[in-house]
Amino acid sequence: MASSRIQATARHLSKTFKKKTRFEIGIATELPPAYKKFWREWKVLKPAAVHFIPQESKWKRDELTGETLPVQNVALPLKYPAEIHEGIWGGEAVVKGFQKRDPQRRRVPHYWVPVLKRTVVKSEVLNTHLSVTVTDRTIKLINDHYGFDHYLLKTPACDLISMLALKLKKQILTELMNGCPRYMYDPAKQMAVYEEYKTYLTSYTPEEIEWYGLTWYEALSKVAKMKEAANRPVPLKNIYRKNLVEKLKAAETEIDKSATDDMSSTTSWLSKMNPFGKKDEA
Amino acid sequence: MFGFNPPVNKVIATGYNLLYQQTRNTFILKRKWSPPLHKKGGKPSKLRARHFVYDLVEDCNLSKQPDIKVILNQFVDGVGNAGDVLSLRPTKAYTHFLVPGLAIYASPENLAKYQIDENKPKVESNYSSPYVQRTLGCLSRLVLQITMSKTQPWTLEPWHVRTSFRKAGFVVPEHAITMPPVTIKGPDLTLQDKEFLVTVKVSLIIFKAFILLQHLQVD
Repeated sequence: MASSRIQATARHLSKTFKKKTRFEIGIATELPPAYKKFWREWKVLKPAAVHFIPQESKWKRDELTGETLPVQNVALPLKYPAEIHEGIWGGEAVVKGFQKRDPQRRRVPHYWVPVLKRTVVKSEVLNTHLSVTVTDRTIKLINDHYGFDHYLLKTPACDLISMLALKLKKQILTELMNGCPRYMYDPAKQMAVYEEYKTYLTSYTPEEIEWYGLTWYEALSKVAKMKEAANRPVPLKNIYRKNLVEKLKAAETEIDKSATDDMSSTTSWLSKMNPFGKKDEA
Repeated sequence: MFGFNPPVNKVIATGYNLLYQQTRNTFILKRKWSPPLHKKGGKPSKLRARHFVYDLVEDCNLSKQPDIKVILNQFVDGVGNAGDVLSLRPTKAYTHFLVPGLAIYASPENLAKYQIDENKPKVESNYSSPYVQRTLGCLSRLVLQITMSKTQPWTLEPWHVRTSFRKAGFVVPEHAITMPPVTIKGPDLTLQDKEFLVTVKVSLIIFKAFILLQHLQVD
């Protein structure tokens, strides 16, 4: 009887048990929703299909058997090397897999690596040219979006992937939020640039821009720093000093009061004595 | 977790110092054996080794990209005037026009902003040939040297100038040359290494060319 009840409880618990997500452990619980939104955009959303062609239809009929089967697009797993964060690869990444070069032969391991080139991109909002590592696809996307800034601002973080692109996006958004201070010397141009890009500001609040493009580690350090700045300990010596000064002040006023009362009535030799005065005075 | 400690500008400044494996493609792949179906809304089953066997469908780097359209920002020598819409190869358009800021993308907004009608026929320039601008550029850099006799008397005439132009590599017809109003006579050593202006007409444009007179001793 008891054992079956334990079994039922175990089954129930196993069903209801939920593994803690990364936002529910330690200091990460204090991360603001703005960062959660960015994290979702960067890591949770599925990136666009770059290395395969997804099937559009919902169902497909098997030609041989005539059986109708659902279409399930399982994405090719991609490898993101550390170098991806030092360039802007336009959604491309390294594909690790096998090639079957001959039906009679064993499969051969193969890495499909994108062709990288160094080129210059022009950012209108930042008013600079940047030398970055890109792929042909990046240049094509920049051309399709009619400019580098438009490409960065329109593309979600899951497709940009790289830290460099995200940091640049954050910088561009901050620049826009401040009203393009880099064009201070030419107010007409400043206005034109701001008018062209201001539509992108509607999808972010200032807090979201502040928390955009931070790595997990950076976000945690930011939280820790903010927390530290908020409840900074006051040194005890300061508190004690303050207390002492207050005490002394209170005592002084009391002495003054008593002195004015007593001086007239009693003149003892003790009252004249001053231990801190000069020797001949005492 | 990825630490991105150095500031962005530093990362940009670092050179191309990574040893990438050299391959010539960016690819669209296809599984040779597709993974099994999973439940609706369920988790896809674990992939086996055979699901990592891929066939190459297309190599995008080898396929030809279409031309892109740009609007010229300013007059570009030998290309066109400000407001001209050009259709160029993407690499050339990007590196030669868009990045240096000579042109902007021909997006619908930009076309509307600059009020450009693409179907409108282009106004032909007054020049008789597309090389006029180039010829004028060459002439502007030229100081023509005319060599005259030190012993025989002479008067400077258009054909002297024409010959000197030919020696310098310019074929100039005589009717295009207008001499300075003062007649230049020689031999006169005070005129040695002095500069004069002759007027050359290049396709309706009156152009002034420098000449340098020099005397030649013939023994």
